[in-house]
Amino acid sequence: MSEIISSDNLRKLAAEWIEQGVRVAAPQHAGGRVLYLPLKNSADLLLDAFIHPANSAKEFLFPKSETLYAYRVEGQDVKLVEAPGTETPQVLLGVRPCDAAAFPILDHIFNWDCADELYNRRRRNTTIVVLACSAHDANCFCTSVGLGPASERGADVLLVPLTNDTFEVRSVTEKGRSLFAGKTQTDNVAAMAAAGPEPRFAPDAVRKFSAANFEHPIWGEHALACVGCGACAHTCPTCHCFDIVDEHGERVRNWDSCQFSLFTLHASGHNPRPDQGSRQRQRILHKFSIYPDKFGEILCTGCGNCTRNCPAGLGVLPLLIAIEHEEHLPA
Amino acid sequence: MKNIYQPDLMEVAAVQRHTADVKSVKVRFRDADCAQQFQFRVGQFGIFSSFGYGESVFNICSSSTWSDGLEFCFRKTGRVTEALWEIEEGDTIGFRGPYGNGYPVEAWKGKNLIFLGGGIAMPPIRCAIWYALENRADYGDITIVYGARTVADLVYVNELAEWSKRERVRVIQCVDPGGETPNWTGEIGFVPTVFERAQVAAENSVALVIGPPIMIKNTMPVLDRMGLPRASVYTSLENRMKCGVGKCGRCNCGPVYVCKEGPVFTMEELAALPQDY
Ligand SMILES: Cc1cc2nc3c(=O)[nH]c(=O)nc-3n(C[C@H](O)[C@H](O)[C@H](O)COP(=O)(O)OP(=O)(O)OC[C@H]3O[C@@H](n4cnc5c(N)ncnc54)[C@H](O)[C@@H]3O)c2cc1C
Ligand code: SF4
Ligand code: SF4
Ligand code: FES
Repeated sequence: MSEIISSDNLRKLAAEWIEQGVRVAAPQHAGGRVLYLPLKNSADLLLDAFIHPANSAKEFLFPKSETLYAYRVEGQDVKLVEAPGTETPQVLLGVRPCDAAAFPILDHIFNWDCADELYNRRRRNTTIVVLACSAHDANCFCTSVGLGPASERGADVLLVPLTNDTFEVRSVTEKGRSLFAGKTQTDNVAAMAAAGPEPRFAPDAVRKFSAANFEHPIWGEHALACVGCGACAHTCPTCHCFDIVDEHGERVRNWDSCQFSLFTLHASGHNPRPDQGSRQRQRILHKFSIYPDKFGEILCTGCGNCTRNCPAGLGVLPLLIAIEHEEHLPA
Repeated sequence: MKNIYQPDLMEVAAVQRHTADVKSVKVRFRDADCAQQFQFRVGQFGIFSSFGYGESVFNICSSSTWSDGLEFCFRKTGRVTEALWEIEEGDTIGFRGPYGNGYPVEAWKGKNLIFLGGGIAMPPIRCAIWYALENRADYGDITIVYGARTVADLVYVNELAEWSKRERVRVIQCVDPGGETPNWTGEIGFVPTVFERAQVAAENSVALVIGPPIMIKNTMPVLDRMGLPRASVYTSLENRMKCGVGKCGRCNCGPVYVCKEGPVFTMEELAALPQDY
């Protein structure tokens, strides 16, 4: 037995949520691109004909810019003002499996040793409705990192396309079940997940190589084309680096990236990562060796956004393929 | 639940100017409960903030045995430190911390202590010196070699003089060649050379070496020649940090988050890490 919903009813449901004051974010057309954006009108909800939005869904749990707290300077005294913070429920609707899978991965960093309440509060109040992929492009590599077009990792509900305008609704968590309770029809057909991309590399080989070859020409060679723009990190579902700065009476955290030259610059002027090669190395090492060693998971979900959005056509995939090739060369 | 990024407010109790660009500041918690509960280990750091300008990472340079507030010492180098340069008694600053591992002062018990510092590296050493002096019976001979580019760049000169009067404490001050004044009575030369000339015994000793990378690099061969094992030589890394709590992704040195697993490492531990500092 399976639960089914038509795209019309899904739109109606989204409209109901919006009506109830739930914040809904979903893929939509925007200026010639597809982006995850706050959904104002359920007619704008995009349910097919896109591979992956140009951004990632992480910004709805970990915003680009977020006030940590505010302050008022009164003479020699200072008054701290807590960030308003919100308990408003949120639904991320139609997110790709590679975006959803990033949240359980990000949970580690925001909670090891001490808990980041700003992130956790949003996480608690968010329900994640994943839309399985029916197609992939040359940049997708979810199957190389243990995921796939219908992966349930991080999902509360998984929608799998059944026909042109119906979806099978697979509830993964209690939160997801209650969101769709009474909104589906029962049927005895089951949706077939699409085949994903062929695996492109083995993460273990990358981990082995990158942990053992801190000094290696491959880093510099691959970084030659990199302009250090950080687009890869900013559109990555798992990158989570941030800066803390003062802006207009507030202390704010803004996304940052290890691809920027100022990222590790010491006050003395010394920079342990003085060139783009050492910054690309950090990116691969962090994702495939450092994070897995610490938290038992690869910091990458294979979405391909880093390559899709890179002005130089880089991103991690070409480097990962080259590394695996290098690792298998006879010594 | 507490917002881990929100600082406690501290009132500036005293400001001391050491050089043309170094000042130290003593601060006290505005909140009595905070003051009561606050504890730290020497070698830990804090994130200090000037409201309107931002946050900066400094070592806590007072001893953990002092109960009245805490002290930090900074060099004016950028946006936040220029703002902190202007603070006066009675002003309010923000403090988060203490963060990091600190020095293993328990493991150092019964050992002779060798402190080697260059320039602005005095503050992170000063807290350990005072800690050892206040627990004098726990530690053996203390040797302090402290150098700066010129006489005018030395910080905590009054305390250096005071330490040298203590029992079983040897203080050697030095300035780079050309940095001396006509009435300079200390040594002339770089820290590693001056230290080697001083012929300090390695037996049953630990060393804490903090300073610019070049000083540390040139000091290591001297310590090796003395026969001090690298597992007994400590340093404190200065990787750029923002959050201090293992989240912002900035401070890692290979697999190690310096803000949480450091900043204090032995040279043996550092040798096992990639050159990412
Ligand atoms: C664990 C630890 C302990 C420390 N302890 C101490 C201590 O006890 N005392 C102390 O004085 N310092 C200490 N430091 C260093 C201290 O954190 C920095 O000196 C301080 O944060 C500088 O802050 P700032 O905002 O004034 O400088 P910033 O404005 O951040 O600038 C610092 C430097 O960064 C570079 N920089 C910044 N922005 C730019 C730009 N746009 N373009 C090019 N270059 C730029 C410049 O070289 C500048 O001098 C410590 C650091 C660490 C990690
Ligand atoms: S998006 Fe491309 S050019 Fe920009 S920092 Fe990343 S790898 Fe470099
Ligand atoms: S890859 Fe770079 S930007 Fe992304 S989380 Fe790691 S250090 Fe931060
Ligand atoms: S300073 Fe943010 S992770 Fe270490």
